[in-house]
Amino acid sequence: MLVEEIINFFKEIPPFQFLDEDALKAVAANLSMEFYPKGTVILKQDGPASDSLRIIKKGGVKISLRSDSGEDVVIDYRGEGETFGLVSLMGERQKTTIAAVDDTICYLLKKHDLFRLIDSTPAFTEYFLQSHFTKYIDKTYREMRNKSLFYGSSDHILFTTQVGELANKEVITAPERSTIREAAQVMTERGVSSVIIVDDRNLPVGIVTDRDLREKVVSRGRDTAEPVKSIMTLPLIRVDARDYCFEAVLKMLKYNIHHVLVIRDGALKGILTNHDLMLLQGKSPLSFAKDIESQQTIEGLIPVSQKVNSIISFLLKEGARASNITKIITELNDRLVRKVLEIAERKLGPAPLPFCWISFGSEGRKEQTFKTDQDNAIIYAEPLSPEEDRRARDYFAEYAAFVREGLIRCGFPPCPAGYMASTPEWCQPLKTWKKYFSSWIATPTADAVLKSLIFFDFRPIYGDFSLAAELRDALNDMLEGQKVFLGYLANMLVKNTPPVGFLKSFVVEKSGEHKDELNLKIKGITPLVDMLRLFALERGAKETSTIERIEALRERHTMVKEYADELEHAFEFIMLLRIHHQVKQMETGETIDNFINPNHLSTLEKKTLKETFHLIANIQNLIAERYKALIW
Amino acid sequence: MVRSMLESFGVTLRGAKREAAPAPACVPSPAPAPDERTPIRDAGYVVIDTELTGLNEKKDSIVSLGAIRMRGGVIEFGHTLYRIVNPAAALTAESVVIHQITPSEVQEKPDIDMVLAEFLRFCGGDIVVGHCVSIDLGFINRELRRISGSCLKNRALDTYVIFEWLGQRASGERAFEKPSTKDYQLHELARRFDIPVSRAHNAMMDAFITAQVFQRFIPVLLESGVHTVGELLSIGNPFKGGDAYRAVGQGCNL
Repeated sequence: MLVEEIINFFKEIPPFQFLDEDALKAVAANLSMEFYPKGTVILKQDGPASDSLRIIKKGGVKISLRSDSGEDVVIDYRGEGETFGLVSLMGERQKTTIAAVDDTICYLLKKHDLFRLIDSTPAFTEYFLQSHFTKYIDKTYREMRNKSLFYGSSDHILFTTQVGELANKEVITAPERSTIREAAQVMTERGVSSVIIVDDRNLPVGIVTDRDLREKVVSRGRDTAEPVKSIMTLPLIRVDARDYCFEAVLKMLKYNIHHVLVIRDGALKGILTNHDLMLLQGKSPLSFAKDIESQQTIEGLIPVSQKVNSIISFLLKEGARASNITKIITELNDRLVRKVLEIAERKLGPAPLPFCWISFGSEGRKEQTFKTDQDNAIIYAEPLSPEEDRRARDYFAEYAAFVREGLIRCGFPPCPAGYMASTPEWCQPLKTWKKYFSSWIATPTADAVLKSLIFFDFRPIYGDFSLAAELRDALNDMLEGQKVFLGYLANMLVKNTPPVGFLKSFVVEKSGEHKDELNLKIKGITPLVDMLRLFALERGAKETSTIERIEALRERHTMVKEYADELEHAFEFIMLLRIHHQVKQMETGETIDNFINPNHLSTLEKKTLKETFHLIANIQNLIAERYKALIW
Repeated sequence: MVRSMLESFGVTLRGAKREAAPAPACVPSPAPAPDERTPIRDAGYVVIDTELTGLNEKKDSIVSLGAIRMRGGVIEFGHTLYRIVNPAAALTAESVVIHQITPSEVQEKPDIDMVLAEFLRFCGGDIVVGHCVSIDLGFINRELRRISGSCLKNRALDTYVIFEWLGQRASGERAFEKPSTKDYQLHELARRFDIPVSRAHNAMMDAFITAQVFQRFIPVLLESGVHTVGELLSIGNPFKGGDAYRAVGQGCNL
């Protein structure tokens, strides 16, 4: 009976699961069992080496390392079904300190019994020699890509073709001193739609396209003897020849241009046009962008916006990384929103005051995938008289209501909590916004903290961006030295503990519709987003997207510096997992949600997910340590 | 199913021991009493449980006996003893329902004299631990007196008595709630410590559960200032308090 119980436990956990029944019986008969109350130091660094491998039956342990400077660094957590003490078996002295973080029960396998297993079972050896986090990520990506459902025979041009392979190698140039006519002659002779203007050292300074000739010369009756410099377009957008085509697409989308210069090792190497990319593949995100741009009415936008979701599965099949998918989707959604805003402004006439349309939440962080709730607001310039204030309120109220309805029709549901410009509270002059922010920081009630989490990820979408920039600067000034407020944020985020680590299986929903499922958004994405927001606010970084925050803080924040690559991988991984899940739901016509069943993941995905949660727990610990005095 | 499970386990163990020397006379040796100064983490324990035909020490008898060895706080799965006994007294219908050992099952089993001889060898000089162990000891000693005229010499500890003591003494983070009448029941106590309990009573499983309970007590004992075997024996004496629980918990260990 005792042995059966042990065998049933070991059957589920690697590497013991590779053993046959007889071998398991032999293992069970040689085991012993020990109990460690929470907080017990089980093995101590520099203490005598342990004589057994410990397998956690219940509870969990923290492994930490004391550095030469005497600082304790948590290096890992182990949970049910995981083992510890292996390294220590090999040497004379214990190399790390291992403490129970919960009431913990371990099975003990004696050193010589373990070594016998290692000798006789190759799977054991392999398991114990396995490597670290980033390796899992690469493997997981490969495994995901091999899933035929998503990556059939379709070629992954956008993400596998480098710009250099595609770019027109021969760059047609004209010297800076040429006249418009001379430049146009070069274009005609060479049969190209654009010419690069270069300086004396043959470095590009601008570009002239067919469009420039049409819009700036012919239609305005400009003298073709004028220097070409007067009509060339600036600035030149460049991509590196080693970038993937996707980068070029993104830049074209972003700057609304059709040509990018290709640079290799600092020198001009070619030019890549929208046309080149279009030829490459029929269903480019660029064609969507063009579709959006050409619409003049909400009615016209509806069918286009419906297609945006389908581009997600297209990009996924192209082999895009999650961050690339969200970048493209954000870019397309931004365009949609801007178009609706333009239509509104045309309908209602120009605004009485300069204003800026901002979005926040996932839209603010550029992390949208499938259509999410509207999260937007208006900041307008300070009215000079009560009369002007009244006129502004009337105008923006009507404007915001029109936009809200337009966006609903384009498939963006209204925010249930009313965080929209159409709510008077969120359509205010700059001064009021500053007042909101400073009062949330000064009095961090639960409600204020919640609002800061949402609003502090704001990003300008349309209108006068300087208003948003001023608000961002003001926010960073307000936060200077506000350790108490940041402590509240820290406190809140360390409470959202990862669902794994101390457990053999994932902690999943205990009841209801999503019983046994894991909420990827709340347990995976939110903790990472929250910690990077905290770090960004600590350092006054202006970036709002999680990936951009990681990049920006790499050199400015010690925790980010230490974990930048892991954080980026972890975030990419969780986002990709979520997008996969949602695309599958979309393709089978299910309602799109964030709940995954961990049992349906591959072993590698599970392992990677666990590594991710360990990383989160690790950093939460560091945050808790840093804000020690403010955590309760 | 229960039968085959029990069988397979019993057979395996007996098979392993078959080559042992013929059972010596079942005389409790004057077990070398453990040094009272031994730290409780270093002492050897044998955690036991018995299933009985009933609680009447005059009429009833032992049906099965389970024991597992502990070295300090470490439970050793490699050192267990489980024997079903051919009882002198007839199995009553009531007790069969509880321990699920049927009359036909016990017929071909060794009698209690053989089992106790093996048990004595298994215990050696270790401290015997059980939950409400005075009942088990009562039956064991009755048989030993019948066979050899003397009682078990090993020192003994009662997990229930220890629990009661800790309930009154232990303070701080790991303090227990005061025991309630329910805690006389081993399985209730186990649930309190989140120790998994299977439905059927079985001497081996119950000995293992008792061992886990005892395992949980060790850190609390150390925190409460109980460090040596001598100190532990004085607070965990099974016969302390005049067997108060016998009056309360009819069948506390059954």
